[in-house]
Amino acid sequence: MTPTVSASGLSLRYGGTRALDDVSLRLTRGVTGLLGPNGAGKTTLLRVLATAVPPDRGAFTVLGHDPATSRGRQDVRRSLGYLPQTPGFHPDFTAFEFVDYVAILKELTDRGARHREVRRVLEEVDLGDVRGRRIKRLSGGMRQRVALAAALVGDPGFLVLDEPTVGLDPEQRMRFRELIAQAGEGRTVLLSTHQTEDVAMLCNRVVVLAGGQVRFDGTPAELTARAAGQVWSSTERDPGALAGWRTGTGSFRNLGDPPTGADLLEPTLEDGYLLTLDGAGAEVAAA
Amino acid sequence: MKGVEGDRRVRGVSGALVWSVGRTVPWRALGAGAVVGLLLVWLPRLGDGPPDPWLALNLLRGAALAFALGLAFLLDDPARHLTVPVTTRRWVRTGLRVAWVAPVAVLWWTAVLALIPEQARPPVGAVTLEAGATAALALAAAATAVRLADEPEPGPSVAASVLTTAILAGLLLPHRWSLFVSPDDPRWEAAHERWAVVLAAAVLVWGVCGPEPLRRGHLLRRHPRGAVPGSP
Repeated sequence: MTPTVSASGLSLRYGGTRALDDVSLRLTRGVTGLLGPNGAGKTTLLRVLATAVPPDRGAFTVLGHDPATSRGRQDVRRSLGYLPQTPGFHPDFTAFEFVDYVAILKELTDRGARHREVRRVLEEVDLGDVRGRRIKRLSGGMRQRVALAAALVGDPGFLVLDEPTVGLDPEQRMRFRELIAQAGEGRTVLLSTHQTEDVAMLCNRVVVLAGGQVRFDGTPAELTARAAGQVWSSTERDPGALAGWRTGTGSFRNLGDPPTGADLLEPTLEDGYLLTLDGAGAEVAAA
Repeated sequence: MKGVEGDRRVRGVSGALVWSVGRTVPWRALGAGAVVGLLLVWLPRLGDGPPDPWLALNLLRGAALAFALGLAFLLDDPARHLTVPVTTRRWVRTGLRVAWVAPVAVLWWTAVLALIPEQARPPVGAVTLEAGATAALALAAAATAVRLADEPEPGPSVAASVLTTAILAGLLLPHRWSLFVSPDDPRWEAAHERWAVVLAAAVLVWGVCGPEPLRRGHLLRRHPRGAVPGSP
């Protein structure tokens, strides 16, 4: 399958910090989850791919367009929807006016067609009924959906979502998952998140980033399989475990190299993720 | 042909943007600065007789500074992060904001000058140069903050910097470089040559920082494969 995004050797430094270190990726249609601890470089990678910041080294293309040139960057932006970690709004705008404003910025200049498109995306994120309400009067979850609508307007082929479910209650998160899954049906979505459940439920592929480097790139099932035979149950916390915690049943769930005869458990995606981070030298015990 | 098409697209977007961008202008901050400026020059009318020309000149300077503090908020954009990867370039949006504010500023300054009795009014051209330079300085500071920092609304810190700079310039500039002189001072002409330099420098900085924000430290860095520096 032809990749939507093809990146090779992306590197970027902020002062003395190496935010990205030789990152290479190929993203195809569907939802790809980007997992990693705080400071792993997830947001930086997303900002680079969204053409918000150029890499120090390396190159990438989006739908065949190279953002290294001004014209190529404009072409990339025509194919791009971006939901940043902290989307801000002009609070006096209504939901409709704000998405319309973004649509104008995206060069949808025909008023009739633009308004139809704005109504379409607001319906898509289930905000059709409140489109005339001022953004400052909307709940946090609704505002996040306004931001998603702004990212979706113009029907971009590549959607970049930076932790879109942070701060949402379980119901809102569930609704957001539906929206992301729907958005991923016809396009390429890159979803940065701390929530392994989001990745398990939504993504056909997962990339783990730590220390600015790609530590894993594969399917959620492959990441889960990394923890096979390394999760076990015990009545006491196993001191030899990389991580261990008491579960709701009172027994301990341990992660690491199990002792002989241990009561092995079915691993989860989170187990695979934590073990991958441990291999990268990250602090698993803190998880 | 494609270049022409690109220009047409920019013109079309600018036309459609005018009203929306007008609503993103921080009118409250600008209005507050304008009102404070008007009050400053109006206050002496409460007393008897025309104000002292030196007082009138400094009130005009104070009014210009108050308006400039409002202008420090002009480039604030709460939706900045969300609108990073759009095709309409930032200079188009900035240009439209300035176009909205410029006629308001001209009307306001005319009103401010009119509030000063004619016999106390300093040379209009010179004091307008001072006001223009102060405004340009505030816009240059705002553009620099947008370019070098990730903060969507740097207005408060920019306004604080402009105010501090103005106070320090009044207090610390050496006698021979003084900017704040009276019309009967022999340094009046030289001071306004310096005001012209301040205006030119501010416009230059504004021009350099205006088009596309860059990540901190990227200004002097060479880019592989050409002119990537960019964001919105």
